[in-house]
Amino acid sequence: MKKIRIESIGVSYPRKKFWKIGSLSHAVRAGLSCLKNSNYHPMDVQVLINSGIYRDGHYAEPAFSTFIQKKLGINTEFQGRRTLSFDLQNGGCGMLNGIHVLINLILSGRIYSGMVISSEANADKKPDPNYQYINSGAAVMLDLSPNSQIGFGNFVFKSFEKYMHLYSSFVSLAQKYGRLFIEKKKGLEDAYLACVQPVIKELLDEENLSADDISFVIPSQISEYFLNKLPENIYFSAEKIINLTHQYTDTLTTSVFLSLKHLLDKKVIKPGQKVILLTVGAGITVGASIYYF
Amino acid sequence: MANNKNIKIESLGIYLPETVLTTSELLSQCKHPPSLDLEKITGIRERRMAVGEYAVDLAVKSAENALKMSRYSAEDLDMIICTSISKYNRKDEVDFEPSTSMVIRKRIGALNAINFDINNACVGMLNGIYVMESFIKSGAIKCGMVVSGELNMPLVDTSKQEIRHSFDRQLAALTLGDGGAAIILDKSDSDKYGLHQLDLITGAKHNHYCYSKPSKRGPGGVLITKARGLQRKGAEHFPFYLKKTVEKSGWTMDDIDYGIPHQIAVGVIKRNIKATNRFLGEKIPFRLLYNVERVANTTTTSYFIILHEFLLNNTIRKDHNLLFVGGGSGMVIVQATYTMDDLPERYISKFGTA
Repeated sequence: MKKIRIESIGVSYPRKKFWKIGSLSHAVRAGLSCLKNSNYHPMDVQVLINSGIYRDGHYAEPAFSTFIQKKLGINTEFQGRRTLSFDLQNGGCGMLNGIHVLINLILSGRIYSGMVISSEANADKKPDPNYQYINSGAAVMLDLSPNSQIGFGNFVFKSFEKYMHLYSSFVSLAQKYGRLFIEKKKGLEDAYLACVQPVIKELLDEENLSADDISFVIPSQISEYFLNKLPENIYFSAEKIINLTHQYTDTLTTSVFLSLKHLLDKKVIKPGQKVILLTVGAGITVGASIYYF
Repeated sequence: MANNKNIKIESLGIYLPETVLTTSELLSQCKHPPSLDLEKITGIRERRMAVGEYAVDLAVKSAENALKMSRYSAEDLDMIICTSISKYNRKDEVDFEPSTSMVIRKRIGALNAINFDINNACVGMLNGIYVMESFIKSGAIKCGMVVSGELNMPLVDTSKQEIRHSFDRQLAALTLGDGGAAIILDKSDSDKYGLHQLDLITGAKHNHYCYSKPSKRGPGGVLITKARGLQRKGAEHFPFYLKKTVEKSGWTMDDIDYGIPHQIAVGVIKRNIKATNRFLGEKIPFRLLYNVERVANTTTTSYFIILHEFLLNNTIRKDHNLLFVGGGSGMVIVQATYTMDDLPERYISKFGTA
């Protein structure tokens, strides 16, 4: 069975106060870092997917990915090698969705390599106080793994529409430049916790694995509360759940990949280990996948 | 395991709001009506305008229409991709989360489908097909829906207030209309039918020619278009890729029965025909279909609103070879080759002739 691997990963870490930058700059920094760590040239990126939600200027079109593609210099003209870039949005699960899409494009023979990139920033002059995500960016380059034991396993995405009312975000156009608003209702984190268990169970069943076979679970870094409650909800021991909220509080779509890069840099993850990437987002949607290192 | 059988449009559903707004009525509502004859330049006489409905309503109604003639029920759908640009799902609000596909999924009862939104300007629905094709071919899913609902009138409303002269860059917003479209895709039984080639290319260097964002002058969203530059760049590059896609399908130009262009304006379509003729060194032997004069530019949904019309009037029939060709801001060029199966017969038997 062929597997698709993360060929390289790049991130743009959160920056504070004076050094704060917008979503395009974060995406470009993450993309450049990913390309620097990669054996591929920018012109090898055949599909570029941007899965960030909040972007500078609240652009509706063109796809924000085109701004990133242009800044990264990835086949920006129609002549020569070509790239398709587009945006994919699905709340906090977007980046995992983007990876799932790219994997299927590679497996169907359409392309041989591509990049999923994501960044979040609120560029409003007076940001909504409910917006608490820290600006950041993350990018992954994917290709066909040369080793059938290394790469992504199955993906499971489940949506729980009965909790849809608990979280919403929108740009109000009632004022010039627009303004982003976020509405979070009480009980959201408990609802996330209630939704993750069936997803993890289905994923383990599909892979014929048990919780003992998994070395780490890297979840979206929603909050201390969510991460403390998570082990008992998914029947994993607490030491297997990665909790980096003291370093990177919730960064929405990029959260899991900032944590993954941190663990790879610290050499916490060893070859042969299996890691679950777990994302949660509005809807409520929960997405999870296993990565074989 | 990749399966290279073609995918096909198993079902199609369209929703056009009933209210009609003519171009002359629209111009009379402008604070500073442009002095040029917009109807003559664009060929657009009228457009549909949603009243009391939002983008997601248009998408849901077209999804329900697609399910009416499909052999699949909503629960059978494995995937829903929403490709709307205009996510005006409430007054003066553009939705980000939850995804619009999630709302559609809930409202049509497709509770087994995974869902996400794709945004790639006017080529969004074809981009959605491109993505779903890979899932069907890799065996990850059996069938799915690509759906879009475009409520463009809020952009038109802003331009009515903000246009100051005949060369204003918001002028192109006056060519927009509202509409919804949904298609259900699955695997074709035969490689003779269905989607043969679908190519999308992004020339991001040219993404400044057209963009939409909140207005900096007042409330509402704006669509800013540098129309000449956009058309010039498009005409410069798309004929080459059009020829290439036709060749990759194993076709010649003579094999094509109808072309389905993106419905921007009659003048633009005619100029693009000239550009193609110039590139090929001969006149294209097939007819390009358009209905832009009656429904205006409905952005992502335009390819399928026209398909609906020409299926109902019995123009497009079984075994006809179609060429989809168009583009969008970004700048994206798209071409697709498609052979019709029994969809026209089933469509007419369900919805009657026009």
